Amino acid sequence: MDNVVLEARNIKKSYGTTVKTEILHGISFSLAEGEFVSIIGYSGSGKSTLLNILGALDTPTSGEVLFKGQEYGNMSEDQLAEFRNQNMGFIFQFHHLLPEFTAIENVLIPTWIKMGNASKKHVNRAKELLELVGLKDYMHHKSTNLSGGQQQRVAIARALINNPAVLLGDEPTGNLDTETTEQVYELFRNINKELGTTILIVTHNDQIAAKSDRVIEMKDGNIIRDYYNIQT
Amino acid sequence: MIFEWKVAVRFLKEGKGQTLFILLGITVGVGVMVFLNTLITGLQDNMIDKAIGDSPHIWISGDADFYQLKDTGENSQSARGNFTVKDTSLGDWELIEEILKEREEISAISPVAEGNGFVTKSGQTSPVLVRGVDLEKADAIYKINDRLIDGTASLHGNYVIIGKELAEENEIVVNDLITIQLANGTTQTFTVSAIFDLENKSVNSSWIFMDLSRAQKLLGLRNKVSRIEMQVHDVFTAEDVMTSIANRFEGIQAENWMESNASLLTALQSQRQSSLMIQAFVLLAVTLGISSVLAVSVVQKSKQLGILKAMGTKSRSASRIFLFQGGLLGIVGSALGAGLGIGLVKGFLWGTSLKTGVPLFPLHLKAGSVIPICVLAVAACTIAAFLPARKSSKLNPVEVIRHG
Repeated sequence: MDNVVLEARNIKKSYGTTVKTEILHGISFSLAEGEFVSIIGYSGSGKSTLLNILGALDTPTSGEVLFKGQEYGNMSEDQLAEFRNQNMGFIFQFHHLLPEFTAIENVLIPTWIKMGNASKKHVNRAKELLELVGLKDYMHHKSTNLSGGQQQRVAIARALINNPAVLLGDEPTGNLDTETTEQVYELFRNINKELGTTILIVTHNDQIAAKSDRVIEMKDGNIIRDYYNIQT
Repeated sequence: MIFEWKVAVRFLKEGKGQTLFILLGITVGVGVMVFLNTLITGLQDNMIDKAIGDSPHIWISGDADFYQLKDTGENSQSARGNFTVKDTSLGDWELIEEILKEREEISAISPVAEGNGFVTKSGQTSPVLVRGVDLEKADAIYKINDRLIDGTASLHGNYVIIGKELAEENEIVVNDLITIQLANGTTQTFTVSAIFDLENKSVNSSWIFMDLSRAQKLLGLRNKVSRIEMQVHDVFTAEDVMTSIANRFEGIQAENWMESNASLLTALQSQRQSSLMIQAFVLLAVTLGISSVLAVSVVQKSKQLGILKAMGTKSRSASRIFLFQGGLLGIVGSALGAGLGIGLVKGFLWGTSLKTGVPLFPLHLKAGSVIPICVLAVAACTIAAFLPARKSSKLNPVEVIRHG
């Protein structure tokens, strides 16, 4: 494949210094541009660890991670921070908005980190993204005044503000009810289609897994299944 | 930088109660420092002014031994009665005075011809010190005109000015005639033109101001003076100015107030040191307070910091958020503290003047002492933020995200 965005080559990860516990036992796979992929598996199977390494939040003990053919697993802490800021969009289970800021300010934070301040152009883009996630009217609400689903949608808009190549979600619907989960899925699908963003989400939700293009199933630090859903 | 600043300001704004509390701490600390500093400085200035404000700071006389070596003339040593008096008078005093006038650090110069004698009035006799001066020049040092209790100051012709106690003891009033007998036997009658109160009992009971040339003649000094008295603008430079004068002229002997008031100086110094010590501890307490509040704040904000880091905030940048908070608290707290300090000073002046109409002693707020305190406080607050800042830079985003 020539349009590979992310690639993992024999990634191993262990924790602990005296007693080493290996969480990932040599994971290899690649992610093509524009794919919508779910990672499923039981708790403790290493899904989140893999996602954190792919998202440059963590580094592998051995093996290589490549972004568009460029190795980034051995970058310095600062380089990784910059890499995350420019190429990765994160969405977490617990939303993690900054309660001190309003919805639009939260969306703009990655831009602030990148350029110090946001230009008019960025503010307009933030407004567009909030419109995309259906929160145009809640722009200036403090994030603490938003519902769980609304907060998660703000987090999605925030993940998209720097035009990342990959959107990474660690159980993004884990905290949401069925209806909201469906809305969030639709949003992901929409973003995937319209912006062409590659989406990789760790999920426990079978419905979402069933609706994604590809499913990677993990068990005890290994990939046990990797298959494509037949699109309806 | 703008981003860190934005987050720092927002963190402070949102944690209103905590921010106000810590600001209050800095404000009180800086306020106390400003007030204490002004109070001690004012007190010391007042003490110095009281002690030496109206007296000479430096005085020079002739070096008897020097002249004795130079010429064995008549005045170097003379026998009076059965004891020997060393002559310490100054010959070329007019020339010396001219040269001293050019020195900017000297604010007043007054040549004096002095000698012991007795005043006789209606049969009573009192020992006196006759001081021949140029009234205008002596006034610059002793403020005679401002401290007259009766009469008009004049040393023309036969006029002299005497002290309050001398006048009271001998029942002398203005325009009375008094007879002065000097140690060399000369006797002459003078008219009292005015009576002074120099706030010193021994001076008030013994000094008599007389015209300089008159005194020179009476005391047999010819064209010499006993000494030249001076005041300097900054009293604490007296020692240095004296040394440089002593090096400039040959055959003189110089002295200054610092030598003759050594115990006063020691007292002032210890007072200043204890005031500095108190201020240092106040600053330390404020610094520790800020440091602990910010350290708690790092823990409180660890979720936010984790998410900021996940989104690409570098460690250095994360620590800057807390340094900015420290600095910002310092700036606002110092400004408020300076205001409080000024308020306390005004309150002190007002409170102590309630009964008498004049404050206990004057206090002068100087930008030169308020600004360094503020700068120091801002620096201390920023330094206080260092430890919390380090803590925030070491925070691992993965930990925060994993544990929600």
